[in-house]
Amino acid sequence: MKENSVEDFDSLFVKEKNKNKGRKYIILIIILSVLGLTSIYAYLSISAVRDQMKLAIERAANSPAVNSSLFPQLKQKAWLESRLKMASLDSVGLSIDLEQHVIQLELKGVVVMSSKIRDCSVSGFFKKIDGNVYFETFGTPLTIKEFKSSIAKNPFKIVEAPKDTIAAQLAADAAAKKEAEERKNQNVFWTVKLDRGFDLDIQGIDSIAEAQKKYEFGKGFKSDRKLNNITNSFQHILKFSKPTYIPEILISIPENEAKAILRALPQKSLVTIRI
Amino acid sequence: MIRNFFIYLTVLVVGVAFFVVMVLFAIPALQNSTVALVGLSSNSSSSGGGEADKASIEQEVDKLQKELDAYTPTNPYIIVNTSDNHFYLYKGKQLLRDGVCSTGKNEKLVSADRKYTHMFYTPFGVLKILRKSPNPVWKKPDWAYIEDGLPIPGPNDPSRWETGTLGAYKLELGDGYMIHGTIYKRRMGMSVTHGCIRLLDDDLEVVYKTMEIGSKVYIY
Repeated sequence: MKENSVEDFDSLFVKEKNKNKGRKYIILIIILSVLGLTSIYAYLSISAVRDQMKLAIERAANSPAVNSSLFPQLKQKAWLESRLKMASLDSVGLSIDLEQHVIQLELKGVVVMSSKIRDCSVSGFFKKIDGNVYFETFGTPLTIKEFKSSIAKNPFKIVEAPKDTIAAQLAADAAAKKEAEERKNQNVFWTVKLDRGFDLDIQGIDSIAEAQKKYEFGKGFKSDRKLNNITNSFQHILKFSKPTYIPEILISIPENEAKAILRALPQKSLVTIRI
Repeated sequence: MIRNFFIYLTVLVVGVAFFVVMVLFAIPALQNSTVALVGLSSNSSSSGGGEADKASIEQEVDKLQKELDAYTPTNPYIIVNTSDNHFYLYKGKQLLRDGVCSTGKNEKLVSADRKYTHMFYTPFGVLKILRKSPNPVWKKPDWAYIEDGLPIPGPNDPSRWETGTLGAYKLELGDGYMIHGTIYKRRMGMSVTHGCIRLLDDDLEVVYKTMEIGSKVYIY
């Protein structure tokens, strides 16, 4: 049996060393690629937010500058003017006062439902707007463009006439039982797209203890958008284009009230917001 | 070889997980913080302006508030929440009474031969009390027979006239819609009616005596 020479032993060691070096390179490339992609995506995402703000500033450029010392009074004036505009219409409108933590349904100027906001989260975008940008965004009523909800907005059933009185009684009892059951097990979460480029999310919570669970549900609902974001993000990275940024206002109110508001609002209803 | 494959795979999985966490949580959190907007300001406000400006705006605000308040009726009115099946009787901003009610079942009834359809819902909006009367007699329409699986009698058949079904009073809202009582008390608080608003006996009596002809009914 031939013994290994000193050179053979060294060459084996060098091979192992090269192998480790190659492995390290590949790992480094993977890490750098991930960091690179993440950084590009973060850069594009932040740019999208900044663009949205620049756009809002541009839109407000032609309106007169607002006296900062009169801002609270002007805000109150704009709030009342918007609600008066809603009152001039025949349909139900929504007013959201984040200063007083109240959400209201208004019909012809009469507050038909008022609910205390239990929790609220607002995108940083809204915290940075002031002066005439604020009035350009919230100075007049916004219009709902699209609804998406976890429960049916207009739950209309089609029922075939029963053959006889016994079948009629059974059908009536079954319908009443079904309605009672549905009321017990409903998670209410809905979101609307508003005409000034942002979303309003309303979440029903019955107790603070239950809130966390429902938050998860709300987030689950929103994760549809987030999952889309993952696939879209790769496309944006490859094209080096900016992803769409949509600022959000998330409001938590009692569940039955969240449901009542959803069902009361017509498709293109007006919304007045004060932040 | 296999060892290397698992090492690369682990690094790749960790990398993808990192990317996903960043895309789902970290970057949106950064987007929603004000950090993303550092250096950007609307720069649209000016300082100065006297007390006179402030006073004139406050005057306008008072005027607008009065204009808005004027929309609330000073005479009695009723608000009906069809989602919760609850009613609220008001006079101005004072709540006089509230309680459970029953409203439309949001249903489209289709006859077996598909020749007849009828929609059962409570209309949203502002309605007015057009007429009110005690001891109402109900003339059963065709859909009442179709819904019960019974043959439809002639238009003036005596079987169409029913007493007691609508309770002690009715307040008519137009287009066949009414506020009335019920014999089906077990189903109060549910969306089971054909579009009318059913109240319990005591509530109905108060509503009947308080609401006037022309009083508004806000339904949502």
